[in-house]
Amino acid sequence: MIRSSYARALVFAAAATAPGGVLASDPPAPPPRRLTLGLEAVASAATSDPGYFNDTSYGRSAMRLLRLRVDVSLRLGARAALLAEGRADNGEGGTLSALYLRLRPMPDRPFDIQAGRIPPVFGAFARRGYGADNPLISQPLMYQYLTSLRADSLPASADDLLVMRGRGWRTHYPIGSGAWDRGLPVIAGDRWDTGAEVRIGAEPLSLSASISQGTLSDPRVRDDNGGKQVSGRLELRPTVGFVLGASASRGEYVSREAAGALPRALGRDAYTQKALGADAEYSRGYWVLRAEGVLSQWGVPRVQAPLVTDSVRSWGGFLEARYKVRPGLFAAARVDHLGFSEVQGTLFGGRPTPWDAPVWRAEAGAGYSLRRNLLLKAVLQHNWRQGVRPGSGSEGVAGAQALLWF
Amino acid sequence: MVRVSAALGVPLLLYAVGPLVVAQEARSSPSALGTIRGRVEFLRDQPSPERRPAIADLGMPARRDRPDQRIAVVYLESAPRGAFEERPGPTVVLDQRNENFVPHVLAITTGTSVEFRNSDRTYHNVFSLSKANSFDLGRYPPGRSKSVRFDHAGIVRVFCEIHSHMNAFILVFAHRHFALTNAEGDYRIDGVPPGTYTVSVWHPFLAAKSGSVRIPERGGEASLDFALS
Repeated sequence: MIRSSYARALVFAAAATAPGGVLASDPPAPPPRRLTLGLEAVASAATSDPGYFNDTSYGRSAMRLLRLRVDVSLRLGARAALLAEGRADNGEGGTLSALYLRLRPMPDRPFDIQAGRIPPVFGAFARRGYGADNPLISQPLMYQYLTSLRADSLPASADDLLVMRGRGWRTHYPIGSGAWDRGLPVIAGDRWDTGAEVRIGAEPLSLSASISQGTLSDPRVRDDNGGKQVSGRLELRPTVGFVLGASASRGEYVSREAAGALPRALGRDAYTQKALGADAEYSRGYWVLRAEGVLSQWGVPRVQAPLVTDSVRSWGGFLEARYKVRPGLFAAARVDHLGFSEVQGTLFGGRPTPWDAPVWRAEAGAGYSLRRNLLLKAVLQHNWRQGVRPGSGSEGVAGAQALLWF
Repeated sequence: MVRVSAALGVPLLLYAVGPLVVAQEARSSPSALGTIRGRVEFLRDQPSPERRPAIADLGMPARRDRPDQRIAVVYLESAPRGAFEERPGPTVVLDQRNENFVPHVLAITTGTSVEFRNSDRTYHNVFSLSKANSFDLGRYPPGRSKSVRFDHAGIVRVFCEIHSHMNAFILVFAHRHFALTNAEGDYRIDGVPPGTYTVSVWHPFLAAKSGSVRIPERGGEASLDFALS
């Protein structure tokens, strides 16, 4: 993890090279500034979430978040820019969550290269960068909900998986790390991978592709298994306000330590995460409608009986709508589901059972802008988790968020 | 002579456009109208608003135009009584081109409608949260226009919900004694009855200034220059 001191150094170095004021004799429209900043402060609070539905890590919730965020863009001529994002969450130390070089080798051609800690090409939600781009407070399940799979700790049997279903916020398995830790989301919406990407084309059709260190569910700064992830996205804008996207990804997700703890080497291909995604957005008048779906598959080892006979899969999807009621006031809602393929062990009466507990979520709320850059949101959320112990299967959460940006 | 107003732009203007303000010594004599003219010099230029860093984009953002920030509005703080009874002007256009409002500053009288035209290649969503004239036009495509009638005097800040760097100012006056500066900074307010007036200049980012000017009984021209910094 890159620490905040590097971010500060970057900001100050960039500020030192920013141009000075423009005199009255200059042309009316000055050139763009070399250095631009974006600042965002987010404060979210919510009622208790005993089922850990909104956890992004053990003890950390997407609904209870204090975030200070600084985005920096340093223009390096007409063809290049350096971009960075620094964050400090919940009063903890700062991290550099993005740092990459953006190049346009031919200024008049829609061909871009980005390298460093880069935004994901897969899907759409993770690139809704700023808090105001999310009309609600939570993130969609497939971008946040912690499944029981881990990259550094592997189940030896189907029973190992079934024992941990519905416990993604704190899980562990016999192979690899024995420490309890959080599981993997289908897509880590809050963390970005490190690598290089290209985008070719613009409206109405563009193609993006990337190669990176981690995977959708476990983006990384440093590679931990020698494998690379390859992702691609095709985006079509058939008319103004209508966006269709299709994405695919494949990468090795199991850490070198966990793979080394297996009784025999099974080859890298056995431990890949593969995913397919589709997304759509339509907006007109006072409406914005969004939908997204992802099918993901992880390879898991077959070590001891009862064996996990095939890759485990998940499918997630959400529908989201926002409507502006009057100036400054909007209403929004999202319905969301995450389902899992079945495995068969000796638990649950030996019946085929989803390897993790399927989850549904419905969230509705409203937002009000006191000023253009000061947004207040309030939401009610309900979560359902199927087939887990009593008391953690269904719960409601109320949340509020204040968001200030410059 | 120009003096610096202690109260900066917004409160000064809101006070000035109130319907109860009447010029000292002003007389409405249609046969002896005068002109106030002069030049506004910009000693300092305000950098135009920038996009927030497009940190989540997969490439370079599209090129956009940049607003001309060297427009100021010169107006009479105290207008003749008859000025408040005049009819609103025709519909005026505030265009959207290359992610930019054109013009960046508009001055109108109360009751005037503004047509927000989308001459861009993308959606725009014009809105304002200004207390006197809040509105939200929703998203509409290129080639379409939507209009808003401004019935209350004041400053209306206009934004695009989709493009956060887009902004414009509409100054809504209760009288017609105002003028925008041209490219050289020159302004001209015609049809001013004889009297002594406080003339103010407003700019979105530079400190407002005001000065006093007298239109003689026989009409004619009075000159007043400003320097904004």
